[in-house]
Amino acid sequence: MTKKYKLNLKQALFIGLVAAAGFSGCKKYLDTNQNPNNPASVEPSLLLPTTQAALSQVVGNSFQVFGNIWAQYWTQSPLASQYKTMDQYASVGTDFDGPWRNLYTVALVNADLIISNPTSSANLKGIAYLMKAYGFQLATDAFGDVPLSQALQPTKYTNPKYDSQQAVYDSVFVYINRAIPLLNATNSLNPGAQDMIFQGNMAQWVAFANTLELRAYLRLAIEDPATAQAGIKALYATNPNFLTADATITYIPTGGNQNPFYNEEVALGGTQNVVASSTAVNAFNKNSDPRLQQFYVIYNNPAQDSLESIPQGSYLAFNQKIVSTPSPLVGARAIDPTSATAPVKLISAAESSFLQAEAVARGWATGDVPTLYKAGIAASFAATGAGDPTAYINTAPDGILALNAAVSVNDKVKAIITQKYYAMCGFQGFEAWTEWRRTGYPTFFVQSAASIIAAGQMPLRMLYPNSELTSNLSYPGTVPIYKPVGWGLANP
Amino acid sequence: MFFCQAFAQNRTVTGTVTGKDDGLGIPGATVKVKGTQNGTQTNTAGKYTISVPDGAVLEFSFIGYLPVQLTVQGDVLNAVLTPATNELNEVVVTANDIKRDKRTLGYSAPIVNSKELTEGGNPSALTSLTGLVAGVNITSTSNTPGSSTRIVLRGGSSITGNNQALLVVDGVPIDNSSIIGGASSLTAVDFGNRGNDIDPNDIASITVLKGPAAAALYGSRASNGALMITTKSGAKNGKKLEITLNSTNTFSSVLKLPTFQNEYGQGFMSGSATSPGYVTGINDASDNFSWGAPFTGKVEPWGQDINGVTQSKPYSALPNNIKDFFKTGFAADNNVGISSGDEKNNFYLGLNSLNSDGIFPGSNDDTYDKYGVRFNGKATLANNFTASINFNYNKIQANTPSGGQGANSIWNNLMQTPRDIPINTMGNLNNPYNGYNSVNDTYGFYGAFTVNPYYILQNFSNLDDVNRVTGAFNLAWKPVKWLNIVERVGVDSYSDRRKLIAPKYQFEPADESGSNLWGPIVNNGSYEVDQINVNEVVHDLMVTATHDFGKDFHASLLLGNNIRERSVNSNFTSTNTSGGLVVPGFYNLENSNGPVDVITDNISIQRLVGFYADLNLSYKDYLFLEGTLRNDRSSTLPLDNYSYYYPSVSGSFVFSELLKNTGIANVLSYGKLRASFAQVGSDTNPYELTTTYGKTTVSGSFGNTTFPFGNVPAYQIGSVLGNAELKPEQTSSFEIGTELAFLQSRLSFDFSYYVNDSKNQILAIPIPNSTGYSSSEVNAGEIQNKGIELTINGTPIQTSDFTWTIFGTFTKNRSDVLSLPNGVSQITIGGFGGMAEVAAKGLPYGEFYGITNQKDAQGRTIINPATGQPIPTTSAQYLGSYEPKFQTSLGTNFKYKNFALNVLFDVKHGGVLYSDTKALTDFVGTGIETGGPRYGQPFPNSVTVDAAGKSTPNTTIPYSVYNYYTSVEPVGMNVIDASYIKMRSASISYTFSKTQLRSLPFGALTIGLFGNNLFLWTPKSNAYVDPEVNSSGAGNEQGLDFAANPSVRNYGINLKVSF
Repeated sequence: MTKKYKLNLKQALFIGLVAAAGFSGCKKYLDTNQNPNNPASVEPSLLLPTTQAALSQVVGNSFQVFGNIWAQYWTQSPLASQYKTMDQYASVGTDFDGPWRNLYTVALVNADLIISNPTSSANLKGIAYLMKAYGFQLATDAFGDVPLSQALQPTKYTNPKYDSQQAVYDSVFVYINRAIPLLNATNSLNPGAQDMIFQGNMAQWVAFANTLELRAYLRLAIEDPATAQAGIKALYATNPNFLTADATITYIPTGGNQNPFYNEEVALGGTQNVVASSTAVNAFNKNSDPRLQQFYVIYNNPAQDSLESIPQGSYLAFNQKIVSTPSPLVGARAIDPTSATAPVKLISAAESSFLQAEAVARGWATGDVPTLYKAGIAASFAATGAGDPTAYINTAPDGILALNAAVSVNDKVKAIITQKYYAMCGFQGFEAWTEWRRTGYPTFFVQSAASIIAAGQMPLRMLYPNSELTSNLSYPGTVPIYKPVGWGLANP
Repeated sequence: MFFCQAFAQNRTVTGTVTGKDDGLGIPGATVKVKGTQNGTQTNTAGKYTISVPDGAVLEFSFIGYLPVQLTVQGDVLNAVLTPATNELNEVVVTANDIKRDKRTLGYSAPIVNSKELTEGGNPSALTSLTGLVAGVNITSTSNTPGSSTRIVLRGGSSITGNNQALLVVDGVPIDNSSIIGGASSLTAVDFGNRGNDIDPNDIASITVLKGPAAAALYGSRASNGALMITTKSGAKNGKKLEITLNSTNTFSSVLKLPTFQNEYGQGFMSGSATSPGYVTGINDASDNFSWGAPFTGKVEPWGQDINGVTQSKPYSALPNNIKDFFKTGFAADNNVGISSGDEKNNFYLGLNSLNSDGIFPGSNDDTYDKYGVRFNGKATLANNFTASINFNYNKIQANTPSGGQGANSIWNNLMQTPRDIPINTMGNLNNPYNGYNSVNDTYGFYGAFTVNPYYILQNFSNLDDVNRVTGAFNLAWKPVKWLNIVERVGVDSYSDRRKLIAPKYQFEPADESGSNLWGPIVNNGSYEVDQINVNEVVHDLMVTATHDFGKDFHASLLLGNNIRERSVNSNFTSTNTSGGLVVPGFYNLENSNGPVDVITDNISIQRLVGFYADLNLSYKDYLFLEGTLRNDRSSTLPLDNYSYYYPSVSGSFVFSELLKNTGIANVLSYGKLRASFAQVGSDTNPYELTTTYGKTTVSGSFGNTTFPFGNVPAYQIGSVLGNAELKPEQTSSFEIGTELAFLQSRLSFDFSYYVNDSKNQILAIPIPNSTGYSSSEVNAGEIQNKGIELTINGTPIQTSDFTWTIFGTFTKNRSDVLSLPNGVSQITIGGFGGMAEVAAKGLPYGEFYGITNQKDAQGRTIINPATGQPIPTTSAQYLGSYEPKFQTSLGTNFKYKNFALNVLFDVKHGGVLYSDTKALTDFVGTGIETGGPRYGQPFPNSVTVDAAGKSTPNTTIPYSVYNYYTSVEPVGMNVIDASYIKMRSASISYTFSKTQLRSLPFGALTIGLFGNNLFLWTPKSNAYVDPEVNSSGAGNEQGLDFAANPSVRNYGINLKVSF
């Protein structure tokens, strides 16, 4: 028994020693919390494609569908149901969680991280400023007042306040003007291929900056003409170059690198959710517009090839199930893989000409309105492959005839915006809807047959996302879909 | 022994110890001379021999039976032991496999034994607990072998973390991950939860430790309670080998299908946009809508025109076309248990196989095969050492049909089948009208928008292959009588490899009529490999010292050290999401059309070191006090703040001991009061302290822009803001309860009241996206669960031939989200775009949140006078929680001679679920709600509201049922009452008596019929689904029927033989 007891003590001591050794090594043993899956820092140039692709995802997918349906180029297919609520004007906050998230938590925050990173080159920073300006303009155009001054600073402001649209526009101009000298910096490292839009072509970025600034000032032309006029005059005083090419990401057929809306359609099992709306199709037909067959797909019927459309929002009432779809050119034909390479136009060449035409028509800039107007139409024809635009320009009722007949500034603007509307079909749905909200042109919109809001009301804004409602103490309250944003007309 | 006998020799007594329940001898029962160490055990036949002084008192005892004391008179002394049905004197297994007398516990710890567990024949040990224990909420989804079971004790304590009970097998925690297959719960494949891997046949008992008090020694992971599973150990009947064979053959059929309308056939409705009178049903041979004309019974052509020939059939309803699609499933579950040994050295070897072919037609497309080996062995060595080992290996191979909304969902497809389509006869894919001709790539199937479900079944697969080893070794040393040292190392290691296969095809319609009703059907195909490896190693060193202070005070102190490491590796890879496959029918990542998509490539390691102390004090046989203290150091917390302490204290007072010699004891046989207070600290997941970058993916609603884009790489900042200041979470719980038994324990009660409070939760709270981030790791939020639990056992009749027992449980738990961080009104825990499941401040956990119809103050639906259609709410509303208001169960057992009959019902009342089955069947016009007149009636119980807000009942303005269900109805209208009553299990068995078996080589033989999940009753408002089905397995996202596969009832025959 005695022997046994001694052994016990020795062993107990040994165990104690082992335990003590374990104790002191504890901290080291437990120091395993460095994330092996994700880096703590990366080169700022790696963030630029993120910012650009995110803006392109917003413009080219979510806003593309809302825009094209609310601009009445497209309507919900009777054979599917994905976008019914858009045609019903029954959208709710959760519908906008996605684009809001892409704007703030992908596009804007990564642009900001480029700007704040001391190792970012001047050129890289310049582009990031433009992306930030573009993103905030997009946000305020869609939602009205949005967080800006307290946005993107999570440790300082956990409940960012909403700034007025005017304040957001002021900042947009500031960002653009900060960008220009950075873009012009000569000794800067060029982002090259990391720039998915212009591959580091700084002259193009300067033109983009000027065109964006013109677009932004014109947005204020009706609501705040003094600011718009002063801004545009100051811009023209710099002898600006404007875009003559589309600002777009070149999408490729590789999965995940495709046109975002087409990619969405593929993910939805190839279901064709959108079809031709009679609102746009009738207007194109009235002008015998050769672009019609580029924007939509002719339905091949043994009896007669034709372009079939249905009235906006009439997906339920429609007995015939064959309707023309938007074309692969605009990325919206679900079963045609060539939709994959359709561009997302952040700003288009045609738009650039029409913006200049409007600035001149309003007397705030120098230039020749008919020349710019025709250049816009020609750029659109070139972009769609619809052939020589001359005959159309000269003979279509909405062609040069409309501009020539216009006497007042408003009538000239009407002709310009209406032509811009045709050029933006399928390509720039959000911008076309936005310009209609600003100017009331074109004038042939109808209320959707599926509308659940009062007669005469139209969607004039996007709703604040549900994610803000449920997490932000500074949430300003839900504004109904039929209330205009700051620069918008009450009854366009 | 020899010496003992020499001293005490007086008389040799022999006898048999039998059980009152079956009259059979009890092998291994302990026979002890009272007041001495002299004792023996019964042999296989229940016989014993012992030498004792004349007039001695013998104590007979066996686990699960009430002990009996008898005085020796003569040479033969037989003892009859009564089963301890009231479970008052049982031995329970508490934390770290420590066995304790139940009376000493200051908290509720019900035990379920092997028999109760296997009675209903359910292959899931977790599902088998349903209705047996109060305070446990079990949701068993489809109830098929391998399907998910969620088990929550006393409500969930965590807002976004795990809320399920910790599973502990023989002292070692095992992983209970539930990782659904498919992209989300909307396209889910139920690959089950790993806790269901354990074979119920191997289980000896399960102790349910409900609150954190019971589990204080487990720390972090036991804050939701724990199930202490003890597997079978070797027989203690001498050296003879005992072999038990248990064979179960189970048949399965669908428990509940949606109720369909049988008035209208294939087609859609017509009308104009301006006058919403969708009055005319138009038949359309290509449609998946049942909105056509009323049935006429006339023979009409249908489907495609192939080579100028169209099939024809009567235009009438086929009420059973969906029901008859399914076949009777069959499963064979065989278990062999081999055991031998004595008290000192013994082993148990269990071999299991479960081969199941489910209810979907065909033989290889809906299968689950599981094979298992378990070895438990114990050896008593020299110098007071004891070594034991538990080892378990499981192999599982399954092919599970998808649910949800994807192209591969058979169920989704079936529900959309028009009421006149004989889908159940269309299984021959060689018939051109059913099939797909891969020679000329045409299809002749009737639907232009759906694919033949038989084709889906045969060509899509979701294969699962699990290899898992769990086990532990224990080394115990008892150097002196008062000291016990145990070292245990346990391991749980598995590989779960999944292959998700979708075929590539492009079929053009065979119909050449030019009607253009038919469109091509296209799928690019895909092949995804998901590899999940989980490794967990646990070490425990426990030193227990015991001491008696005088005659009445007894103390024991346990000091322990726990080290564990968990590593998880998950690697999900698929062929290019958009590009799909290059070569059809060839499933290999090399066959990707475009770059292979790396969906997840994730490693995580987490370590924890804990020190704990457990002090037990007892006074006489009726006053018990326990205190515990634990310190944990976790690798997941900031290194400066990684250590935390938490205590518990509990007490038990068996007051009936004081009344033993009074008249009260005639009525009150047992009475105990108990109380406990405990805290549990909790760490978090690895890597939550910092904000990191990740490869960029820009998500649309369904599609994504991914990188590298061509050759352009990109990164983005993570959307979750890390927090280097995290502190451990804290759950505290308070519980009081009582156990009472009356009339020689013929009637007993067990009652608990508890309050659990979880604070400082480590949450990724949603922050406004305008901050640039989606969520932020914080310590915040508080959930409280309050509830009562009642268990009643009664034995109204007990004679030598006939015993009738009844038992019931009642559970009421209310969970309240008491606080969330400033500015956050809710945290999403599941759901989808328009229908979130949230934890919202001031409401019960698991609220549904979505748009619904507007109602006036009297609950009447407000309609738009222009259209007759209901007006949706302008914002999302809270629509109720999935948590039931109360649960109750009622079971009864009859025993007459050799027959035994058991029935168990369970009830969940209150709580809601979201039913996409309702939404979908209504949308396509097959649902019962779409029957009856489809135009001309006003919306039921509707009003118009004027500008002043005055309601006027609407009796005149009609609405279009078609327009309502296909276009207007908001998502919230599909949130329905989830209450139910189920006949959870029923069984009848016959056990042959020893005399009947005399001429046969069997030691015991029982045959029985059993059933589980047999019948279901739901409120009238649920004409759609079994409320237990769930599309996202066993996680916090519950009550989500997103076209989840239907649940099954099981019934069969069971044979149990021992040699």
